[in-house]
Amino acid sequence: MTRAFASVELGDDLPEVQPDVSMENVRLFCASARMPFGRFTDHEKARAEGLPGAIVPGIMSQALLSALVHRWSPGCRIENMDTIFRAPVLVDSKPTCRGVVTNTDPESETIELDLTIVNEAGETRVVGTAQVRL
Amino acid sequence: MILDLHNHSIKSDDGRARVENYCQWIRKRELPLDGLVLTEHRQFDTESDYRKLEDTYGLLILKASEVETDYGHVLVFGVNEDLQNAFDFTRVDLPLDLVLREARRCGAVAAPCHPGRINVGLCAHYGERGAVEGVELIETLNGGSRSGEDDRALELAKDHGYRGFGGSDAHIVSHIGRCATRFDDEIASMDDLVQALRGERFEAISWKS
Amino acid sequence: MEELNLEALKGEWVGVEFDTAEFEVKEAAMVDWATAVGETDRRFTDPDHSDFQAHPTFTTQFVSRRVLPKGFPRLGRGGFDGGKCVTLLVPVRAGDRLTGKSMIADLYEKTGRSGRMIFLVHRMSFHNQAGERVSTMDWKLVQQTREPKVSG
Repeated sequence: MTRAFASVELGDDLPEVQPDVSMENVRLFCASARMPFGRFTDHEKARAEGLPGAIVPGIMSQALLSALVHRWSPGCRIENMDTIFRAPVLVDSKPTCRGVVTNTDPESETIELDLTIVNEAGETRVVGTAQVRL
Repeated sequence: MILDLHNHSIKSDDGRARVENYCQWIRKRELPLDGLVLTEHRQFDTESDYRKLEDTYGLLILKASEVETDYGHVLVFGVNEDLQNAFDFTRVDLPLDLVLREARRCGAVAAPCHPGRINVGLCAHYGERGAVEGVELIETLNGGSRSGEDDRALELAKDHGYRGFGGSDAHIVSHIGRCATRFDDEIASMDDLVQALRGERFEAISWKS
Repeated sequence: MEELNLEALKGEWVGVEFDTAEFEVKEAAMVDWATAVGETDRRFTDPDHSDFQAHPTFTTQFVSRRVLPKGFPRLGRGGFDGGKCVTLLVPVRAGDRLTGKSMIADLYEKTGRSGRMIFLVHRMSFHNQAGERVSTMDWKLVQQTREPKVSG
């Protein structure tokens, strides 16, 4: 159910999610996005390009963050999603998606969120912000 | 007094935080900061006036710059009109010795930041080309550092006798207050900060988990 | 290396619309996309849901026939995706036919862990078959201009 605007406070943490970035799942995503590129779907091909292994497409990372927001507030409407792909998220790794409320605007009843994806070492790989209407 | 000396707002190309939201966040999360410094990339923000926010939130808000040199990125505290005319802040290949020299001439302090970072950190360039005269102060704790980068910075400071400070390098609201600098003396203005950074009565601190 | 005159390049290219392309929104792709990212809101995974729609950033997969305008100079040795900013105006529905118009929105240079880079902001505006603007996407295409890799 959609979260009530009045129940949201600056500083609220969204429940963390460990997304499934297994090769199987990344391949499913790449097929849906018509991105059949080896750097995303094949570790060997990615290594041949100088990468440490296959990487999660940036647009998949961004979509993982949208899913995080919907999980926190089903039915909400994401009006803007701005992500910076700072470093690759590796396929078959165990990243964590995090979010936190950084602003609430009672006039427009919109919420602003900081969103991040961190790797197992706690290093930020993707940062972003979202504007959400509940 | 604790100041976070390295942060970016929406004035920077990759900054996504409004300054008021930083202030709200500091107060809401009860972060032990007394103020912050905005170090926008490749520019000095002459337009913004944060005095009202300072009053509302009881925080000191100062403006500095992060410029890009042939030895990596450098924070410049105490930017004035003379310094803005001394070199082109928008360039990505400023000679470090020029930035250090002109900062000193204009009464400012220039300090390489995130020195442990590849390509844009001092350590990497020292390894290839040797040390640069005039560096006295570096950012030893940076909130955006990856594994090992702060260790390299601390080692560099030790080897060369540089003083070290800390800053979060925040680009989003929730990243402020990851690293900062604790000063023994009261800082109420940029002049005070420049004076303090020329001395030794401060230390870098980190709350990174 | 010849000095790059970024200001001149901006003056010549920023704001110039250089491509229009059409894209069909397919139901199966909408579902697979949402499923792959672990979506739990049925609006995005269940075609029978009364408000079934594409995942918010679904349009980020749509790229023009040209990434850069014809005649645009080669700035570096390949590039990578530096980020995406999507503004959603109207939900995208299964069967929609979207028209995407491309322009260069900004160009700037900076240095980072990846060395010296040109950031090229490729903006696409998407309209549906009813003429409604459904979303805008800014794609930061990063081009590395040198091969430094100076490690600590």
